Amino acid sequence: MFFQQVINGLSVGGIYALMAVGYSLIYSLLNFTNFAHSITVTIGAFATFYFLTELFENIYAGILFAIVVAGILAILIQILGYSVLLKKNAQRIYLLITGLGISTMCDNLVIISFTSRFRVYPVNFSTKAINVFGATFGTIDLIILAVSAVALILVQLFIKKSRAGLAIRGASFSLETASIMGINTQKLIMIVFLIAGALAGLAGALLGAKYTAYPALGTNMANKAFISSVVGGLGSITGAVIGALILGIGEVLISGYLSSAMRDIFSYTLLVIILFVKPSGLMGVDIGDRA
Amino acid sequence: MLEYWLGVATLTGIYMIAVLGMSVLTGFTGLFSVGHAGFMAIGAYTSALLTKTYGIPNIFGVISAMAAALIVGLLIGYPTLKLKGDYFVIATLGIGQATKLIIENLPGITGGARGLTGIPPGSSFLTVLIIVVVVIWILRNFLRSKQGRNCVAVREDELAAASIGTKVASYKLLAMGISCALCGLSGALLAHFMQYLSPSMFSIVKSDELVMTVILGGTGSLTGSIVASLILIPLPEVLRFGAVQEWRMVFYGLLVVLVIIFRPSGLMGNREFSIAGLRRFFENMRLRMKHGRAK
Amino acid sequence: MQDKEAILELRNVSKYFGGITASEDICISVPKGYIYGIIGPNGAGKTTLFNMITGVYDTTEGEIFFNGKKINGLPTAAIAKLGVARTFQNIRLFGSLSVYDNIFTACQKNITYSLLDGLFRTPKCRRQERAMSDYCEELLEAVGLIEFRDQQADNLPYGLQRRLEIARAMATSPQLILLDEPAAGMNDEESMALTAFVQSIRDEHGITIVIIDHHMDVIMALCDHITVLNFGQLLAKGSPDEIQTNPDVITAYLGVDD
Repeated sequence: MFFQQVINGLSVGGIYALMAVGYSLIYSLLNFTNFAHSITVTIGAFATFYFLTELFENIYAGILFAIVVAGILAILIQILGYSVLLKKNAQRIYLLITGLGISTMCDNLVIISFTSRFRVYPVNFSTKAINVFGATFGTIDLIILAVSAVALILVQLFIKKSRAGLAIRGASFSLETASIMGINTQKLIMIVFLIAGALAGLAGALLGAKYTAYPALGTNMANKAFISSVVGGLGSITGAVIGALILGIGEVLISGYLSSAMRDIFSYTLLVIILFVKPSGLMGVDIGDRA
Repeated sequence: MLEYWLGVATLTGIYMIAVLGMSVLTGFTGLFSVGHAGFMAIGAYTSALLTKTYGIPNIFGVISAMAAALIVGLLIGYPTLKLKGDYFVIATLGIGQATKLIIENLPGITGGARGLTGIPPGSSFLTVLIIVVVVIWILRNFLRSKQGRNCVAVREDELAAASIGTKVASYKLLAMGISCALCGLSGALLAHFMQYLSPSMFSIVKSDELVMTVILGGTGSLTGSIVASLILIPLPEVLRFGAVQEWRMVFYGLLVVLVIIFRPSGLMGNREFSIAGLRRFFENMRLRMKHGRAK
Repeated sequence: MQDKEAILELRNVSKYFGGITASEDICISVPKGYIYGIIGPNGAGKTTLFNMITGVYDTTEGEIFFNGKKINGLPTAAIAKLGVARTFQNIRLFGSLSVYDNIFTACQKNITYSLLDGLFRTPKCRRQERAMSDYCEELLEAVGLIEFRDQQADNLPYGLQRRLEIARAMATSPQLILLDEPAAGMNDEESMALTAFVQSIRDEHGITIVIIDHHMDVIMALCDHITVLNFGQLLAKGSPDEIQTNPDVITAYLGVDD
């Protein structure tokens, strides 16, 4: 039972991590929270749903489709919404408000276009249960866990090994300095939004498979991912993953052993405690304002 | 019919108080919050429960509501406003959601998700009107005072503000306190107007609406916030058909993005309404027309 | 030389960012009433010094005294209240406010009314506000910005923005003003006007000035005493004449101009 819950928690945490890494990547490079992140999750779930019902009944192809659509959407949000403000070097509050505006607009457009109904995917991962050492696991949880792990490792490799990844890590210390040194920061910003969007799309597709697709999915889940990235330390990618796993396992254990009503209270209480005790999070770095 | 519109007007006044509070925080001090509906909830439930359960007069209920919202606001503001980064925003998200969750999960006291009924009435149109006028007068005074100017300095440039001797964190906390007290007041008035409360009245969407109303009105103008409140708050009452509520939010969102990108100072910019300003405006118009004719 | 009492004193001040040395073992003593120049190539740690004096950064080692009181470790606002004002290398005005409001916001020394006085606009509040308002008008007149009184600060031409920033520093009634590259980006005519302006601040208002700049003509014309920094370390000290003939300075810095 306990072991089973932990696996379930890791799969929930894995999905949180996919979204939390997006928050962290953008925060580390641009120093603001992307409040429009949640919409790419919702769109990921709906893209998979419509791909499966209208085009082709293959869940893996559907997930790939979601990744592409959400990645493009994230880039569009950056070009149409943030880029002008970033070029003007606008105050952070303007970026936050723009994100809020975009997410309000898109959330409601989704309700108008798709209605508030819950959509179940016509095809899904095998729902068979697997028996290992006497404990039963849903195949779906194991697949989600595997897919999330692979995606997160790929992103980590990209950040650690590739030239663009190196540039992103360098630029996160000071975007201005990077730009003076001749690094194309516009390109870096695009790459970061693309990765964040693609991961969010993947998360949306997996969430749709695990639960269902519905308009508030993105907001509900992205809030949890946001908490994860704060618990781990704003701007730290490793921290975001650790925070997400803690939150995922904690939530599953609490709804399993206490009640599901306590689950959300746990998440937000954890957030408040972290803010009081160690606001920079478990692995946080504090970047000061230069004169 | 008249009674209905009087009700809409009263409700507009009540929400305007919360918008004015947000205006001090977001518009004049440059801080962002996604959880101020939570402070309305704290105010609403405090006054409702005190007056309903213990039978104390509404006025004391309302005062306690403001105090409760103020105390909670200062408690979360104090540790987070000293930090650089988005921690304050995160704290407001946490408090907004946590308040709602706690209300939902204490059905014995708050009525839970089903709601709280039988709240003593109050908040007549006249009462609300008088309170709104007093609040506007006090805020106008505040913004013309040293303390108000310091808040604006913090919004404009924190480092420059510190360099002229402004204690940045203290003035942020002051703005937070004022906004929370006013949201608490607004919530309490709402409770005694509706005589019914449910946690869904204080969702994150409500918090977002408060911020967006301030932005659309103009970040440096009390007049802007008042005008935006007068137009935007009654809007859902006027538009009551089909998916029009969703379209309203789409429109708000779009408008907010456009305003931030093209005219960050909003509808009114930094200008305030004044008789002298109005006279100048007409004088300019007259001159321009005369000039135009001469050509 | 050091016959006058020091208003500002840096004792063995060092600042390290991670492994990078921004300033090392700096000793500076600024006599009251002086116009004191700090020069050095880019990256010599000049602005870092200002940031340490004003409490934006804490010192890694060493101590800073203002009027004999230790100020390192105090928050920026507290240091400003003691009488240290400054300007910034990349101008930091209250951009969307008018010229007048920029000055008015900075005038707080003689405002003693409480928050409650402000909220209810009591007679005490009105009286102090009126007095401050008169003072601001006078200051604007004195610094030659009165004709731009109602213009938005962001819309001012560059030179006037610099002037407004200095005026805002003056409005805090300081004893010491730190000017961070006030002549940057100015042509000869503008920097001449600036030189006269800075001179008048010291002569007419009795405010001590520390100035960082790259314009040698401005520095040499204004300063009573100059300190030269190079790679975070003290290279030379002396009068303008001594500095101009110091071989170390010439090789490290002045020579570059020729």
